[in-house]
Amino acid sequence: MADFFLQALAQVGTPSVLLLILIGVLFGIIGGSIPGFTVTMAILVVFPFTFAMDPVSGVSLMVGVFVGGYSGGIVSGVMLGIPGTPSSITTVYDGYPMAQRGEPGRALGIGVAASFIGTLISVAVLVYFGPLLASFSMNFRPWEITALIIFALTLVAGLSHGALLKGLLAAALGLLITTVGYDRNSNLRFDFGFDALGAGFEMLPVMIGIFAFSQLMGNLEKLRDDPQSAKGANTNVAIPYTRILRDMAGQKLNTLRSSLIGSLIGALPGTGGTVANFVSYDQAKKFSRHPERFGTGIPDGIVASEASNSAVAGGAFVPTLALGIPGDLPMAIMMGVLILHGITPGPLMFEQNPILVGAIYASLMIGAVVMVLCQLLLVRWFAKISLIPQQILVPVVLMLCAIGSYALNNNLFDIWVLFAFGILGYLLWKASVPLTPLILGVVLGDNLERQLFRALELDSSWLTFLTRPLSALFLSLAVASVIFSLYQNRKIQRLQADEATSRNA
Amino acid sequence: MLTLTKDRALALAMLVITGILMAETRNIAPPTSWQPYGSALFPQILLGIIAVLSLLLLLRTWLVSQGVASSEPSRPRRSLTEWVRHNATVLSLFGLFGLYALLLPLIGYLIATLAFLMASLALLLGIDTRRKWLINLVVSCTIAPLVYVIFRFVLNVWLP
Repeated sequence: MADFFLQALAQVGTPSVLLLILIGVLFGIIGGSIPGFTVTMAILVVFPFTFAMDPVSGVSLMVGVFVGGYSGGIVSGVMLGIPGTPSSITTVYDGYPMAQRGEPGRALGIGVAASFIGTLISVAVLVYFGPLLASFSMNFRPWEITALIIFALTLVAGLSHGALLKGLLAAALGLLITTVGYDRNSNLRFDFGFDALGAGFEMLPVMIGIFAFSQLMGNLEKLRDDPQSAKGANTNVAIPYTRILRDMAGQKLNTLRSSLIGSLIGALPGTGGTVANFVSYDQAKKFSRHPERFGTGIPDGIVASEASNSAVAGGAFVPTLALGIPGDLPMAIMMGVLILHGITPGPLMFEQNPILVGAIYASLMIGAVVMVLCQLLLVRWFAKISLIPQQILVPVVLMLCAIGSYALNNNLFDIWVLFAFGILGYLLWKASVPLTPLILGVVLGDNLERQLFRALELDSSWLTFLTRPLSALFLSLAVASVIFSLYQNRKIQRLQADEATSRNA
Repeated sequence: MLTLTKDRALALAMLVITGILMAETRNIAPPTSWQPYGSALFPQILLGIIAVLSLLLLLRTWLVSQGVASSEPSRPRRSLTEWVRHNATVLSLFGLFGLYALLLPLIGYLIATLAFLMASLALLLGIDTRRKWLINLVVSCTIAPLVYVIFRFVLNVWLP
């Protein structure tokens, strides 16, 4: 363990890779600090730039964006009162009132410090639990992997803002997209006579198209419906270092609890920064001796929010690396990067690519240090960048998406794939279909089909899925997650109906 | 009479797509003697699941119209012309992107990208003041060549 970690550290410690981590962190913070841009979008934009890099450099750059992105959301949250990413919504509750009270530097400083500690704690969780989970999952055979993928998809679909039916529909649609082109038996499927479809769809243009277009066009629509959301702010910020050290000294337990909550939630498929954010804020409030002061601009709220969402970064790597099951959207894209570089995440990754796993650990730690330095030194500039209007951002990002898709294989067809899936993503978004299960379906589709048929080739009986204890457990959990989502949907509908009745009365 | 809500349109579109693709699975080669299952099975399973889910969605929209549950907030209905006018910017941007994809191999990266950026910035920012023109020119003329330089000379990727 120590051996491969030192080797990985030597590879990550080269000036060129350190520079890439710095660029990644800077871009991530910028991406996270621009409202509506999100960590996922920052990762998607940087993704094509990794094509020409070796795996360690590519992954280090992406990890930098990941770490920076989760901490960047604090800037616009504090300065504008608009969360830069959905995972920093609760940061606004206390960060914005503190900034309005004339202490924006203090709010930003506390958030950055909490982000830093949260990331480090989550790396510790990853280092400890990643190999454990991987060695446990070494016993998984095709039946267990098939059942696990089905469980992950149902879990993600079920957690899609109460839209269970649409979430499941999206997951199935995502899986269907991967069936276009030649399959494992070299049979052609759904080519409709077009030669270009023979190779199937590249994962990257499909993912970018579905997510980026819906997100960017959605931002434009929001701007049209609410032009006031683009208001400005005073970006003249100074960080009071001693005050922040004193604030953080009084938040030890809160920081630890929130970081552990973030790591744990990050490791669960279907959750992510947003859920971690709300759960840890709620827990901090419950454990607090002065819960009534939450939301008025106190350090406790900022710490709970920022420590947890940054801790998601390390936690989310646990299932992605150990099982090959990405828990959320940024991780699905991260997995795409690894696959593109010829590395298949999963239990064998720890055996076959230990240096790359070590490089991820090392990049996360170095990224956290770089993040805290960049945030503290350049926060004034990030605050200014957070004011870039969507009208300028959208065309530039669309252009980068197009060039990124082209650069994947120097193939113009991929730009058309991007465009077609952009239209599909936008239409599905308009129909309130959750897009995360769809993208996870696209990422996991090939593996699901491969494992399903490997299982059936070994034993043609479908009942084997139910007679093997672990696969039966995962399938039962899949059914349970669907039933639980149905129950939750009912509960929400009943509450809404009660509320409407009491309002009318 | 049942009106076409978003959920209903989605369910119907999915059912149509499922029908077309299900018919298309007949063109997939059948399994050979040594294969227990053929290449069409996995897509057929998925299409079956999509069809069932779409039917359930359709059924739910019918229940909604009967007042059992409501998943969509009620909004004023727009005619197609009104909808196009309301979404003119987004639709135009899609149009510009399609044009960009079309022109990229014909006129090359630099000119096509400059044209796309300038046109889309003009569409979104407006062109009614000198300041907006200046922003448009600065952004387009900086970003397009910068991306070219990064891809061509740093990453060794040729752009069209």
